[in-house]
Amino acid sequence: MIFREVEDRDLIAKARRGHVEAYNVLVSRWEKRVFNYLLRLVGQREDALDLSQDVFLKAYQNLKKLDDPAKFPGWLFRIAHNEAYSLLRKKHPEAEMTVEPKMAESSAGLFPIESALAVRSALARLSDDHREAVLLKVYQGFKFEEMAEILSCPVSTVKSRVYTAFDLLKQTLAPVNSGGTE
Amino acid sequence: MNCSSDLDLKAYVVGEVTRQEKGLVEDHVRGCQSCREELDRLNLTRSALATLEDEEIPRRIAFVSDRVFEPRWWQTMWRSGPAMGFASAVLLAGAILVHGFEARPVSVDAAQIEKQVESQVNAKVQAAVTEAQAKQSAEFAKVVSASERQRQADLATFQQAAEYYQKQMARIEVASNGAYGQ
Repeated sequence: MIFREVEDRDLIAKARRGHVEAYNVLVSRWEKRVFNYLLRLVGQREDALDLSQDVFLKAYQNLKKLDDPAKFPGWLFRIAHNEAYSLLRKKHPEAEMTVEPKMAESSAGLFPIESALAVRSALARLSDDHREAVLLKVYQGFKFEEMAEILSCPVSTVKSRVYTAFDLLKQTLAPVNSGGTE
Repeated sequence: MNCSSDLDLKAYVVGEVTRQEKGLVEDHVRGCQSCREELDRLNLTRSALATLEDEEIPRRIAFVSDRVFEPRWWQTMWRSGPAMGFASAVLLAGAILVHGFEARPVSVDAAQIEKQVESQVNAKVQAAVTEAQAKQSAEFAKVVSASERQRQADLATFQQAAEYYQKQMARIEVASNGAYGQ
């Protein structure tokens, strides 16, 4: 992990000096993670792909503004977060990102058998803020402090979002966790 | 959950605890059924989330060798020394030109200044014309005077010549009369 980080730092330094191939390698390393984060956040494959494109373009254009190359992952996901929320606000400006999950299906205990589908469905029911908190914490492995920087909010808010999301997911996924017998 | 313990089970599940806190949680759940069940539910939720695998990106992100990543015209120029020098010269010339155009309407007193300058010029021209006329008149008077003097001199010479001829004629006449009279 440390070796990889050092390599990323080298690539960033080279890309800053105009080595386009170094940036190519950097993109190839991070595109899958960024794409999946965006896909789970916005829900549409084409949107996620377009956003990923924009994220890496903006990252390249602003690479010199990155103070500490070691913070590249958080910085990159901050760009991704901003791009995603820009799109989400355009798509549903009145929704204010605090929509509570719809419990219609979960309360009936009717879930797809396959766990992955159930998880995808459960994540889709979360509000954008809660879903993003889970994506950054569980799927991208960021620390609360890093998430606070990405999301531009206090650590306490990040913590609260992750915990609330876990409570909601725990309820929604309960039938899956117990083998769908409840 | 019936336990009144303030141990943070969610922090344990998402990996936000120190080694010491981890030990405390593990010790506690061994003796607390309520917390153990809650921890099991959280772990199951965490495990369920892990079943959702990353998708492969449908197509690769456009790399820096692609058009969208090509440096813009000003970036290319910035990196080129001679081009930058030429651009600086053009910019400077443009600034001078703009200043020239901008400076004129800025001054409100320009019309007054123009009027003053015009009146000064007119006065100078008038003075010069007057002086030239006076000089010309003086020259003319001088020439007339000289001409008059010459005329008078010529007249005197003519009179002398006329008198001389008259005298000569008189002499000739006398001599002639004397010769024929004999």
